[in-house]
Amino acid sequence: MVMHPLVSVVDDDQSVRESLPDLLREFGLSVAVFSSAEEFLASDSIGQTQCLILDIAMPGMSGPDLQRELILRRQKVPVVFITALKDETVGPRLLKQGAVACLLKPFSETALIDAINVALRMK
Amino acid sequence: MANEITRQNNSGLFSGESVLDILKLIFAGAPLSEILTIIARLVEAQGNGIFCTIWLLNEDGRYLHCAAAPGLPGFAAHVDRMSVGPKGASCGTAVYRKEPVYVTDILSDSIWDDYRHLVSPYGIRAAWARPVLSSEGKVLGTFAILYREVRSPGTADLQLIENASHIVGIAIERQMKEEALAKARSDLAHVGRVTSLGALTASIAHEVNQPLSGIITNASTCLRMLAADPPNVEGAIETARRTIRDANRASDVITRLRALFVKKDAAIEAVDLNEATREVIALSSCDLQRSRVTLRSELADDLPPVAGDRVQLQQVILNLLRNASDAMRSVEDRPRRLVIRTQRDEDDSVRLTVTDAGAGIEPQALDRLFDAFYTTKSDGMGIGLSVSRSIIEQHRGRLWAAANDDGPGATFSFSIPSASERITGAQHLTRSM
Repeated sequence: MVMHPLVSVVDDDQSVRESLPDLLREFGLSVAVFSSAEEFLASDSIGQTQCLILDIAMPGMSGPDLQRELILRRQKVPVVFITALKDETVGPRLLKQGAVACLLKPFSETALIDAINVALRMK
Repeated sequence: MANEITRQNNSGLFSGESVLDILKLIFAGAPLSEILTIIARLVEAQGNGIFCTIWLLNEDGRYLHCAAAPGLPGFAAHVDRMSVGPKGASCGTAVYRKEPVYVTDILSDSIWDDYRHLVSPYGIRAAWARPVLSSEGKVLGTFAILYREVRSPGTADLQLIENASHIVGIAIERQMKEEALAKARSDLAHVGRVTSLGALTASIAHEVNQPLSGIITNASTCLRMLAADPPNVEGAIETARRTIRDANRASDVITRLRALFVKKDAAIEAVDLNEATREVIALSSCDLQRSRVTLRSELADDLPPVAGDRVQLQQVILNLLRNASDAMRSVEDRPRRLVIRTQRDEDDSVRLTVTDAGAGIEPQALDRLFDAFYTTKSDGMGIGLSVSRSIIEQHRGRLWAAANDDGPGATFSFSIPSASERITGAQHLTRSM
């Protein structure tokens, strides 16, 4: 892994916002946390983010909405989707649109590390 | 005896047709007070100077309340209630003894000592009372005939009292069963909100997977912090604490869902949505009345049938009605008006809409409305709309909400293809449900 690359986490679920950044920091990553897609878009972290860990279902702008918005803005941010909803059709569709991975909550540490490593190699 | 009631061959009181008429009223669901008044009037019409009163025993069995006394204006309010006991006038004593009490002259009978002054303004002298019993022999109230003269009952009188008491018993028992049934229905409807297990699986999975995700992430972090050199004990304690909190959260979800039971397979048939709606309205009318909601239904008469599971669709309609009614709970400054409408939709679909005059929907809430466990109600589980949407989607339709644009409140609508549209669709539905 590269030294302290920035990973941004966008999730409306508080327990994810509390737990995931600590684990990512244990991996040696820098972390920025956002509770909504809108908040992330308004931040200045977009340009520095080397991997975006993004919840799919959120009130307001959803994860896939944010992914489309980033493409429109020509921001090449590798996206790792996370979701608690098991829907077999969503994952493949998002991967087709350029997502790095789609992890079903609860996901293992290994699956998370693998996905982030792919994302960091892309940037 | 000019006033003695004579039994007639076929049209006599409480035999033959008059009984049938009263029974019809009873089983048509007429209000109890109305039925009892009709019975009392029929008795009073049998002769001059006859007064009939009917009394209901309260729940703890200690008092009788006057439910009908049509010939004695103001009597019910004046006497109000009588205590059950050995000196409870004719009625209270009849209940106490569990047998008829025929007082020929209330001036000389000591069981009337405490009540004589109450009836003296009405000039009552004779009072014949008979306990009204349920089919299981439980006392429900009393039936009484009063005269303004000293008098003892003849054979025909005794027969009349017995017959009338039976009918009164049927009327009261019927009312009690209606009430019990209404309660059972409402309990069932409540359970019905959460019966579609298939539709719920996703909701449960979502709600349990969120905290599970936290548990696994926190536990992984905790292990890493402990394995570090030197170990980050403080951090590890914090993550362990969060692990426990998330585990409790998952366990809470399971507790909330414990009441669920597995529903049998969906039954696909041609459903007349108007008829299904009318049934739901009938089922809800008591609740709506109690909540002071006025319901207007505008059901289109040219509605084609839809293919689906009648009970599931009714669950959705019921859920929408309940939500609409609940949304108007705090409305005091305008009528709590609810409109339920069916209509033909474009492309051969059938649409049902429920419009309320409640608080409406916040724009930011529109997105979350159909999420499982999202609720604005203090006593709600927040899965009604989520399940409703799943059911409608399984019928290959859609369910949506919008704020009213011509006043306060919200409109919930669903639209599903008509049966002719989906002969193959029905097969699809059978497989997927």
